[in-house]
Amino acid sequence: MLWKLRRRCWELWHGEQLERDAEEELALHLELAAADRVSAGLDAAEARRRARLELGNPDAARDALREGRAGFWVESVGKDAILALRALRSRPAFAAVCTLTVALGVGASTALFAVVDAVVLKPLPLPDPSALVRIYDVNPSKGVERSGVTTGNLADWRRLAPRYRGIAGHYTMGRTLTVGQDSEVVLTAQVTEDFFPLLGVEAALGRTFTSEEARAALYDNAAAPVGPDPVVVLSHDYWQRRFGADPTLVGRTLVLERRPARVVGVMPASFAMPAPDVQLYMPWGFSGDEPRDQHYVSALARLAPGASLLEAEAELRGVANALAREHPRTNEGWTVNVVPLQQDLVGDSGRTLFVLLGAVSLLLLVACANVALLSLARGLERGHEASVRLAIGATQGRLLRQFLMEPLLVSCAGGALGALLAVVGLALLKHFPAGLPRIHEVALDPRALVFAAAASLAAALVSGLPAAWRRTRAQPVSELSGTPTRVAGAGERHRIRDALVIAEVAMAVVLLAGASLLVRSYQRLQAVEPGFDPRGVLVAPIFLDMERYGHDGRSRTYYAGLIERLTALPGVVSAGGATALPASPLGPDFERPVWPEESASDERLRRPAWVRMVTTGYFRTLGMRIEAGRAFDGRDSPDGARTVILSHSLARRLWPDGGALGRRLVVDYSTAGTYPYDVVGVVNDVRFGGPRSEPRYEIYLPHAQRPYLILNVAVRTSEDPRRLAPAVRQVLRELDPGKPAHGIHSLEDLLGATYSRDRHAMLVLSAFACVASVLALLGIHGVLAHRVRERTREIGIRVAIGAERGHVLRWIAGYGLRLMLVGVAVGGALAATSARVVSGLLFGVSPADPAAAALVLLALPLVGLVISLHPAWRATRIDAAVVLRTG
Amino acid sequence: MAAEKLELLILKTLALGPRHGYGIAQRIEQVSGGVFRVTLGSLYPALQRLERNGLIDAAWKASENNRRARYYRITPAGKRRLVAEQADWERVSAAVMRVLKAT
Repeated sequence: MLWKLRRRCWELWHGEQLERDAEEELALHLELAAADRVSAGLDAAEARRRARLELGNPDAARDALREGRAGFWVESVGKDAILALRALRSRPAFAAVCTLTVALGVGASTALFAVVDAVVLKPLPLPDPSALVRIYDVNPSKGVERSGVTTGNLADWRRLAPRYRGIAGHYTMGRTLTVGQDSEVVLTAQVTEDFFPLLGVEAALGRTFTSEEARAALYDNAAAPVGPDPVVVLSHDYWQRRFGADPTLVGRTLVLERRPARVVGVMPASFAMPAPDVQLYMPWGFSGDEPRDQHYVSALARLAPGASLLEAEAELRGVANALAREHPRTNEGWTVNVVPLQQDLVGDSGRTLFVLLGAVSLLLLVACANVALLSLARGLERGHEASVRLAIGATQGRLLRQFLMEPLLVSCAGGALGALLAVVGLALLKHFPAGLPRIHEVALDPRALVFAAAASLAAALVSGLPAAWRRTRAQPVSELSGTPTRVAGAGERHRIRDALVIAEVAMAVVLLAGASLLVRSYQRLQAVEPGFDPRGVLVAPIFLDMERYGHDGRSRTYYAGLIERLTALPGVVSAGGATALPASPLGPDFERPVWPEESASDERLRRPAWVRMVTTGYFRTLGMRIEAGRAFDGRDSPDGARTVILSHSLARRLWPDGGALGRRLVVDYSTAGTYPYDVVGVVNDVRFGGPRSEPRYEIYLPHAQRPYLILNVAVRTSEDPRRLAPAVRQVLRELDPGKPAHGIHSLEDLLGATYSRDRHAMLVLSAFACVASVLALLGIHGVLAHRVRERTREIGIRVAIGAERGHVLRWIAGYGLRLMLVGVAVGGALAATSARVVSGLLFGVSPADPAAAALVLLALPLVGLVISLHPAWRATRIDAAVVLRTG
Repeated sequence: MAAEKLELLILKTLALGPRHGYGIAQRIEQVSGGVFRVTLGSLYPALQRLERNGLIDAAWKASENNRRARYYRITPAGKRRLVAEQADWERVSAAVMRVLKAT
């Protein structure tokens, strides 16, 4: 094998020499043969003739030798490439249009593939990621589908479930970090001691936590680290951004919630658990007496080697059942769900992404079809070249290879340009994150480049094959005989061209159908009543610390003062605060079982409800409606009776006869006891998580009676809320410079973010659909224009013998309309069959939505008709006399 | 004539001694009694293939009439191939004869 390779290289190198040698050898052979015949009695000339006749043509032999020599293939392909380049250079506009079209198609599909690859396909960047799972607590009897787990149960799970190599917990919340004079709120994750070992990642700088540090970690009620030697680990991104990647940071002390905390390590750049925006990690240890009914911990686990997911889930469910029997008061009805971690992180963004990937592939096909159409038209004008070549002995295979070289070159250039476009597109995507998980992992890596190459190749074939095939089938005789009046094979040529246009229109229709459905769905989303009025509202989450504000009702005073000052600002209508605000993900959000006092024994009326502490003015600020009773006011003071306001659906559920007002509700705080409250009001339901979420059971307690340190302060203004942000910051600074807000956002933005994925999908698909439609319409236009050019003589003759202009117009435009209608019919059928694909993304709209269908089925042909009027009009302007004269 | 058969014949011819191209063609024609007539277009590509595969090698030498000619020579690998192919061919043709002779 190696010998052959060396031989080939040698042949390549000595090509010219070998050529000369072969000539010499062949000449000698003929001479000797002639000499022999001479000695047999023939004269010299006759001998030579005979020899040549019997031995065959030396030129043919020489050619055969040349073809057999190494490097021939490369040489001939190289020649084809140069020819193709020259041909393209002679028509720069055509080459540019084709290259750009391919570049757009390849660029868009490569970018989208890179996203799909990083978000859905690639395994997580952790050792053995398929063994990682997330554990949720569920309670079907109470209607709880996915909930955090409890610290008490977690400790037992570790002991009793051997199919898990380890179970770790984490809890994320914001804490205030002070560096010098600046304070900011950072996202911190409290993690158990097995968190980092379980995930299998070591610190990039320094180390992660030891068991002693985990055990010694103590946090007060406001989550400040109050242990003897608090330590933290930084995320790579935060270390870079905030501390400029300072290598001496490990060992230094920071101030967290006004306490010193020592930095012991920095995580590597690829580590993004539990979420990419976590900036600080803190150790967490459980004491012996952990509660079993506060479901706030997120649990991660690694399966033991050889354990399957189903086995592990069944085992843990068994353990949960056993615990429920042991601790019926807290654990009854609770079981677990175990899901693979990657699946949990990706969620259902995968579905959206695959739909978009399908759409962009259609777009790529449409683009290629357009290039194919252009090439076909151009190829027909160069039909003579193929005929001549065939006449002098080229094989069809050779011609095909030659004619495919042009689209191959165009696609290579287009593909390279497309890859560049994809890089730009991905960079932009990172700046405007579309709410996708794992977006930080998206990059144009080798897999995406392979995809780009494959897409370019596919583009070359799809765009080049029809024209190249057509050209190699040219009939030598009839083409060479001069004027192509009766074009042989015309029917076939038109069929390919028409088929391409119909395919383009069909694909554009499919994309348009999908896009219009998404648009309608998005409109429905926006029209959903969220239960509050987000316009003009600014939200500022504030995290007070225990030390300064944890006693003597200082937090109450602070917030009362803050709200008073905010209300006094110019342009402010009202201000209020809540521990948990709709669409705002920060703040203590927890559920507790509640029931009507008079029906304490009725199990059916014992429901979990989400608990919020709200200040006076909150409901008015959010634009919520008081359906019965009143909002909180001065009567709900610390020394007054305990009061509560219910959400509409909770009041309806607990008191179906409508008599919630004036009754008493009991709330169970587990270890802190149960307390009855007077129901003083009912407010409307709120879609807490945005328009796609269902209303929940909620109870509101007066902040004055239960002053939480963390509060989302909302301010309603009569003007653009964003302009108020500096003033709000100023007020906060005046009250306490060490207490900044953790990001000030307008409520409209926050609400919009809850369905940002729908918005982005709609925008992207609409963009694809528009581009595809434009390309399809261009295709129609091109086909009709070409048809007119082709049939110029015929049209001239028809006009000369009396056809009316209107007839010609109708003929051409009618042809275009027919093509469009067939395309729309095919596309409509395709869209109907693939409706199920999109239906998972829709909201309140069925795939058979009449408005969407009408738009596509009527609008596109209408526009197509208008477009086809241009070449039709040009046809009517053909001067019969000129045509007949020039022929 | 099929290319592989020609290659086999060339190998056999060269096994008896090195020759140049014309000499090979002559020999094959002579021994086969004129049944096989070797043309330029079949002989030289076959020689090129054999040379590429290392079964023969060639060198320029002075020929009879003092002209430069390329002399081909069989290599050890070529000899081995010849033996193998010959055995194969004999086996196949014997089988064919048996089939044809069967009544």
